[in-house]
Amino acid sequence: MDKNVDTSEHILVCISPSPSNLKVIMAAVKMAEAFHATLTAIYIKPTNYTNIEESDKLRLSNNLKFAEQNGASIATIIGDDVPLQVAEYARISGATKIVVGRSGVKRRHFWSKPPLTEQIIINVPEVDVYIIPDAAVDLKQQNEKIHLTDHIRPTLKDAVITVLILIAATGVGLTFTLFGFSEANIITVFILGVLVISVLTASFLYSAIGSLASVLLFNWFFIDPKFSFHTYQTEYAVTFMIMLISSLITGTLANRLKMNARQSAREAFRAKVLFDTNQLLQKAEKTDDVIRITARQIITLLDRDVVIYPVDESGSLGSGIKLENSHSVASTELTDDNEKEIAEWVFKKQQAAGVYTENYSEAKAQYHPISQNDHCYGVIVLHLNGIPMESFENSVFMSILGECSLALENLRNAEEREKASVLARNEQLRSNLLRSVSHDIRTPLTSISGNASNLLYHYSQMNESTLMQIFSDIYDDSEWLIDLVENLLFISRIENGQMDLHLSMDIISDVIEEALKHVDRNVNQHIVTVSNCDEILLVKMDSRLIMQVLINLVNNAIKNTPVGSEICIQSERKEDTVVISVSDNGSGIPDSVKPHIFEMFYTGQNKVADGRRGLGLGLALCKSIIEAHKGTITLVDNQPTGCRFIISLPMEEVTVNE
Amino acid sequence: MNNPVILVVEDDTPVRNLMTTTLKTHDYKFLEAKNGSEAIMLASSHNPDIIFLDLGLPDMEGVEVIERIRSWSNIPIIVISARSEDSDKIEALDAGADDYLTKPFSVEELLARLRVTVRRLSLTHSNADKDSAIYINGRLKIDLSAGCVFYDEEELKLTPIEYKLLCLMAKNTGKVLTHTYITQNIWGRSWENDIASLRVYMVTLRKKLEAAPDAPRYIQTHIGIGYRMVKVD
Repeated sequence: MDKNVDTSEHILVCISPSPSNLKVIMAAVKMAEAFHATLTAIYIKPTNYTNIEESDKLRLSNNLKFAEQNGASIATIIGDDVPLQVAEYARISGATKIVVGRSGVKRRHFWSKPPLTEQIIINVPEVDVYIIPDAAVDLKQQNEKIHLTDHIRPTLKDAVITVLILIAATGVGLTFTLFGFSEANIITVFILGVLVISVLTASFLYSAIGSLASVLLFNWFFIDPKFSFHTYQTEYAVTFMIMLISSLITGTLANRLKMNARQSAREAFRAKVLFDTNQLLQKAEKTDDVIRITARQIITLLDRDVVIYPVDESGSLGSGIKLENSHSVASTELTDDNEKEIAEWVFKKQQAAGVYTENYSEAKAQYHPISQNDHCYGVIVLHLNGIPMESFENSVFMSILGECSLALENLRNAEEREKASVLARNEQLRSNLLRSVSHDIRTPLTSISGNASNLLYHYSQMNESTLMQIFSDIYDDSEWLIDLVENLLFISRIENGQMDLHLSMDIISDVIEEALKHVDRNVNQHIVTVSNCDEILLVKMDSRLIMQVLINLVNNAIKNTPVGSEICIQSERKEDTVVISVSDNGSGIPDSVKPHIFEMFYTGQNKVADGRRGLGLGLALCKSIIEAHKGTITLVDNQPTGCRFIISLPMEEVTVNE
Repeated sequence: MNNPVILVVEDDTPVRNLMTTTLKTHDYKFLEAKNGSEAIMLASSHNPDIIFLDLGLPDMEGVEVIERIRSWSNIPIIVISARSEDSDKIEALDAGADDYLTKPFSVEELLARLRVTVRRLSLTHSNADKDSAIYINGRLKIDLSAGCVFYDEEELKLTPIEYKLLCLMAKNTGKVLTHTYITQNIWGRSWENDIASLRVYMVTLRKKLEAAPDAPRYIQTHIGIGYRMVKVD
């Protein structure tokens, strides 16, 4: 599907191993076609993926393939909290519609979790959720099974607590019988015991066992005949039933309460972590910062080693940045040998890989792409040290990754905007330049070609002095063009508003000497003096550019002062700077002109539209060259007359090899 | 050496005409080649004394022509390039070119480079006859066996590095040596600091060499490229 048709709609379809899931995908595909929307198929892969039956795996991969063939891009996310992960992904990817299948309409029990669809709606209320009835296999049941196994991890500690509380309840009951309290009190004590058990133990199993045990204990110790499970009165059967039910309900309720508390605590924690991450990421100004902050947040949260492979400027995956948690032990051993290879794969496919995933599952770490809208910004490698992430950890990790890729995308967008505006500025500069250059090239070219054609066709009619005049005009004009081209070449080196400098250590006096070899040939009509100080002044500079500055300044002086004027070039050291001055004793520059002298295309007093020496390029170029060297160029009046350009450049101390 | 034969390699006809006309008016003998393969053929068959080589040729890179010719001959090659980037010149010099000229060049400049090279050729010819332990260039004399340098028969006090530098320049008189080439030969490496040091040593060496007020310029500075020892009459 062409993704550029209309990206305003983004449909998300949830994939499951269920055979009827094909129907859901089909519906989503049709919808995507109708809306011209991009389609993403999302599969939330449980952390115990390896335990899933082979037939289910096969169906799943068929479903994924089917979705892919119908133009969906596939996103696989590892986690056990399906609704949360789907909602999170929808939020991050900017999905507008979610299509999910639903296995029948289940009656909602007061202790059951709200159905998947409802949870998604709660989490992302702004997204439309489409439910496709899905009768056959019960996907939800499977999920709940996973949840159950997730919670029931009977521990010895919980068993001991249960036994102790039951003994205590029995003890209290026996004490009550001594005082002759009624049986109702004892029943209450047992129900209290079950309540305490469900609060103190992690699993629902213990409150259930507690409930049953309470009934049995009550029967054994307190109902005649004592120390047997028999009863004389049938009404006790009803008492036992009610006792069992009420203690079960008590236990379940307490458990649920606890679960809710834990859930909301986690939610709060998750919200806080995400908020912090978001805050930090918003302050980040560089890609490196974003990646560093993300890595730090992940380390704080998961306490695991992280390696990040950012994408470098050329668009390929750079080298890994390793970030260790505070008490990491010899984690280098845990790094996969083919880490870079896996990272490259993840980068290319934009799919997670590594341990507990389908791809490279023999690896020791988990690899996740940091991607957003088909653009991958890097790969994050999480060293799990053999311990899989809890579903909660995983979901927070995924959210942080989402925040990170969002931040990176924002940065990239900002960068592109900046580039575009610089480009526009450069374009403006260039078009101005071209306009004024074409005028300035035309004038000398007219003279050269006209003079040459005169020579070709009318040579015989010309006398010696006319010929000499024509020859010298051609020479002057072509020299002037050469000068122009030199300056243009340097202008072309201004990229993105910055000059590309080829820095090297050079001696100022050498540069001055070399520059004087390239100045206007009319230099002989002026008196040029150079005075260098005795010290060797080494400056780190682009010597060609500095030479061009000096050539421009001296040529300006030659052009703008009468024949026989003095031009003086001095170099000296002032603390940490080298000061070079070019001064003349001409008529100087009027005060009204001075503020504009370094502006591009400013042509000084020459207001004539067709003026020959147009193109106020020279001084503007000088200024940008000097500023690119972190130096300054200023214009002052020379005493008694004329003007003086002062350049100062930062100096470099050099230790000389022996 | 009288009347050397010059091979002009240039694909642009007006520029080639300009060069050949200039050579003709100054009574030099010359050969013309329009591209690299023709240049290599003429160089091997006619054995010219000097080659003017344009770097931007239609059939092959100028640097390749230099390398091919250098595989059998030490004919001085003067590179002519319209590329203003120093790196191109340095590449050509390091490949074995002796000198370079940037377009647009003046006719005077072309002739001056030619004279420098011709003088250098005669120097190598004359020095080859004599005992090579003594180097003489104008008023400068280096006694290589004793490790002494004399100017007007007066000994100059040079530091070891200055002496090494001077010998290296003398051995390659007339040839432009790149900064990298020099630092590699003096310090065996070419770090930024070495190049800065080279600048400083060159200034001190030149101060000693050209101390006399009427002393000629023995060492030319080529900004951004390197240095050259000039043959002085």
